[in-house]
Parts: sequence; structure tokens; C-alpha cells
Amino acid sequence: MGYAEKTSGAPYRPVIDVDRLNVSYGDFHAVKDLSFRVEQGELYALLGTNGAGKTSALEVIEGHRRASSGAVRVFGESPADRRAVRPRMGIMLQESGFSADLTVTESVRLVGRLSDRSDSVDRVLGIVDLAHKAATRVGQLSGGEKRRLDFATTVYGRPELIFLDEPTTGLDIQSRDALWEAVEELRGNGSTVILTTHYLEEAQQHADRIGLMHRGALRSQGTVAELTRKLPAAIQFSLSPGAPVPPLGAARPAGPAYQIETFELQADLKRLLDWADLHDVDLHGLSAAPTRLDDVFRAIETDPVPTPTR
Amino acid sequence: MLPIAYSEFAQIFRNRAVLISNLVMPLVASAFFIYRRDMFAQIGSLGYIAAVLVFTVGAFSLYTTAVTTLSARRQDLFLKRLRSTAAGDPAILSGLTLPVALTAFVQVVVILGVFAVVSGRPANVALLAVAILATFVMMLALALATAGLTGSPEQAQVTTLPISLATIAVASWVGITGTESFTLLKRLLPGGSATELIVNTWNGGVPLAESLPLLAPTLGWVVVAIVLALRLFRWEPRR
Repeated sequence: MGYAEKTSGAPYRPVIDVDRLNVSYGDFHAVKDLSFRVEQGELYALLGTNGAGKTSALEVIEGHRRASSGAVRVFGESPADRRAVRPRMGIMLQESGFSADLTVTESVRLVGRLSDRSDSVDRVLGIVDLAHKAATRVGQLSGGEKRRLDFATTVYGRPELIFLDEPTTGLDIQSRDALWEAVEELRGNGSTVILTTHYLEEAQQHADRIGLMHRGALRSQGTVAELTRKLPAAIQFSLSPGAPVPPLGAARPAGPAYQIETFELQADLKRLLDWADLHDVDLHGLSAAPTRLDDVFRAIETDPVPTPTR
Repeated sequence: MLPIAYSEFAQIFRNRAVLISNLVMPLVASAFFIYRRDMFAQIGSLGYIAAVLVFTVGAFSLYTTAVTTLSARRQDLFLKRLRSTAAGDPAILSGLTLPVALTAFVQVVVILGVFAVVSGRPANVALLAVAILATFVMMLALALATAGLTGSPEQAQVTTLPISLATIAVASWVGITGTESFTLLKRLLPGGSATELIVNTWNGGVPLAESLPLLAPTLGWVVVAIVLALRLFRWEPRR
């Protein structure tokens, strides 16, 4: 039963509600006034630089750590109330955390039983292509196989909420594809996903919304389109010696090339091409690229002023 | 709790190093004490041998193995993994320590059973059982506290030495010299009053009313050990 169904007729509540969360370690303020919500069925990616505070924030939301101040609710409950929330959530930890002396099957069965969900061990091992390793001890698995085992325990029993902490680190391309295919299938059944990753292209491809953290604070959040439209796209080209420079005010030399930064990529590109055609100018190595998440990420790293997030 | 205990049993019996320190070493040491019982009975008494057997199992099979197991599970992030499920902290700790405690209990029953067959049965079996239980609870709580100070199973070989050696030394001191001298000191040391209780219940001849108060210092150490465990035990490795 989905969360929305369970609370139908009741006041609206998101799956995850983080309100002015602060986490401190002594004098170090790891998470500062973090607020965001995640709706049912969403894939929300919490991204940030190393030491941005996303792991600390995630650990509080998962119920592994206490907040210094602020409120976190998961399914309307405190995440520390394991009996209430854990049967409904699967957590893929950043590091595997399995006993080397247990077999793959025993590991999945143990975590599954303790999570109060029921499923078939063979089914989840099939998802991650570990069925042939069912009787192998975890200590004999490779790093990538341990990540896949971790994912198998996470999706055991098809939980309503899934935490994926660096899920594809150490995985080959086929395993990554299989993992995302399984995630999309779960989302198709209404599961909500929280993702942290250093692979921005995965967040860009799969996340409905992205929160960008830097130095403990959420500096920006929204869809990929909302985040990238705040920065200009770029048109790049080179000119033959002596050729006239396009009269587009933003054109400027960038090394041997010229670059135009624009918020209207299509219109400005058309103007540039029309001008070049009219003046018979060759635009060598012409490229037009929309703003990428990497650009937003880098801009936030260098932006000293926090922006409102909620 | 039971799924964790079951998996812990499997892990203990698949790990040769733990199996040797948990089962073989205490059995060999106990066999030596029972084999040379006449010599040790002359030094102390049969009750003294019983006390040393209990503390040998308590120190190695229970205390050292529990510290090694808990620090290994924490180092592997297995504790964090278990805490990412619906299981509560008491259930996790109970599940992890139950197999070690059960193994130690079975060992002590078998060893004392053999000792009773070859040297005569104890005078008060019920009170002896209570004394052993109190000793084991104390050693288990001390294991939780020591595990908080132990970063890895390798470190456990060092961090467990002070308490394991100290409790066996106290048992030997009290068992051999009795409590006529330094009475208060001997009874207040960890394992001191438990040793006296085991000696009394095995040898007999001491009224129940005199033996029962000896439980108080042992239970006091249980409380101290639990407080230390609550303060020192960590679920995740230091970063």
C-alpha cells in the first residue's frame, strides 16, 4: 500500500520532510538549516562536493544519526523509530557492511528478515545477476559484486522508499544499466528514491529534482531544467585570420576560440549562422552546448552567496 | 534477535581463529587444571579450581570472543548494516552476543560437569549457577565496554588482556589465599566476591546467609560494567 493511499483523506504529507535540519560535530557545523521535501514516486538526488554535508544529512534522514536541531519526518514518523519506518524503506549504504563469513543468500535473507519485508531471495539475486554466487561467501566477492549484493538487499521486498548512496561506484556499465532498470521498475510501482552520487550524468538522467549542497547548506534545488536555466549556454567557434568578428556583443576570445554565452541558445545560434552566411565567414569547430549540471555544480562551488532554497 | 543469533553462530563456526580462541584454548586450559587437580587442590581447594575454570571460560570464551566479535562486526560496518533494518539496538546486541554467551555457558557446564565427576559434586548447585550467571553477565557487560575502546579484532588481542588477566589473577589470589586477610579489598575487586561465592558453593560448609551477600559486589560490578558499556560502546568505526 502506497503512502498516498494510506493517508488519503488525511492532511497532505510528503514522504520525506526535512525542516531546518542542523548537524554539528563539536565546533564543526556539517549541515546548516537544510530544508526540503520529497514527494511519493519522486527520485530526488542530493548532490554536493566532498564534505558538503550530504552524508550527514542522509544519515539523519535514514535514522542512523541524531539531528543537532531541526525536524525530519519520514512517512510522517521520526526516522529513528525503526519499527515504524524501516519495513517501508531500503537503504543502500555507501560501504557494503556485510560479514565476510556469510554467504550471499544468507546475507540477503538476514537483512530481509530483519527489515520485516517478504520477498524471494532468488528474485533479488536475479535482478543483480548474482544468482550463480548464491552459495559464495561475501568475503570472496569482488567490490562490484558487493555493491550489487547491497542493492539486492535494498530492493528486497520492494520497499516504498529507497536510499541509494553512491549506488554505481565500482560497477561496470552492464551492472549500472541493470541497477537503473530495476530502480525505474520500482518507481513505476510508486517507490520513492533518494540518491547521492558523484556521477552527475546519472543524476541528470534519472532525477526528477536535484538538491545541490555546498559547505553544509542547500544552495539550489529544482529540476535539471530549472537548475541549468540559471546559467548561460555556450556557443564556441574559431575564425580564420582576418575574418570579421560577429557583432554579437557577448562574443569574446577564449584562447584561440570565440565563445558566446547565451540564455537563448536557439535564437542566438540562428543569428550567428545567418550572419556567417551573409558575410561568407567560416565558423571553424562550431559547437553549441546547453548548460550542463557540471556547470551549475562548478558555479555553486565558486558562488559565495547562499541562495534561498524553500 | 534470533536471525542475528543464527547468523552469528554460523560466522563463529566458520572462522577458525575465533573457533580456536573461543573453544579450543579454554578447553585445553581447563583440561590441564582438571588433570592436575590434586596439585591445585593442595594450593587452594577444589572450589578454587572450580573458580579458575569458570573465570578461564568467562575471560576467554566469553569476554575476549565477545570483544573480538563486536569490534570485527563494527569494523566491517556489519553493525551499521543491522541498524539499517527494523531491528532495535537491544535486539542487535542480544543477537550478536547470544551465541558467544551460549557457547561459553555450555562449555562451563561441560567442564564443571567433568570436574564434578572426577572430584565430587558441588555442595550448592543452585547458588553456584547464580554465581556463574552473575559472573558471565559482568564479563559480557565489560566486553561491550571494552569493544567501545577496541578499533579492530587485531586490537582486541591487546585491549582484552588487562581485564581477562586481572579477573583470572583475582580469582587465583582469592581462591588460594581466601578472604581472611584484605577481606574488603578482595571482595570489591572485579570477580573477587564471585570467586569466594564459587569456592563456598563448591566446597560447602558456609551458611547460605553468609554466601548470599557476596552477590552484591558482583552485581555492583555488573552495574558498573553496564554504565561503562553505555558510555563507551560505539556502533560505527571512528572516522
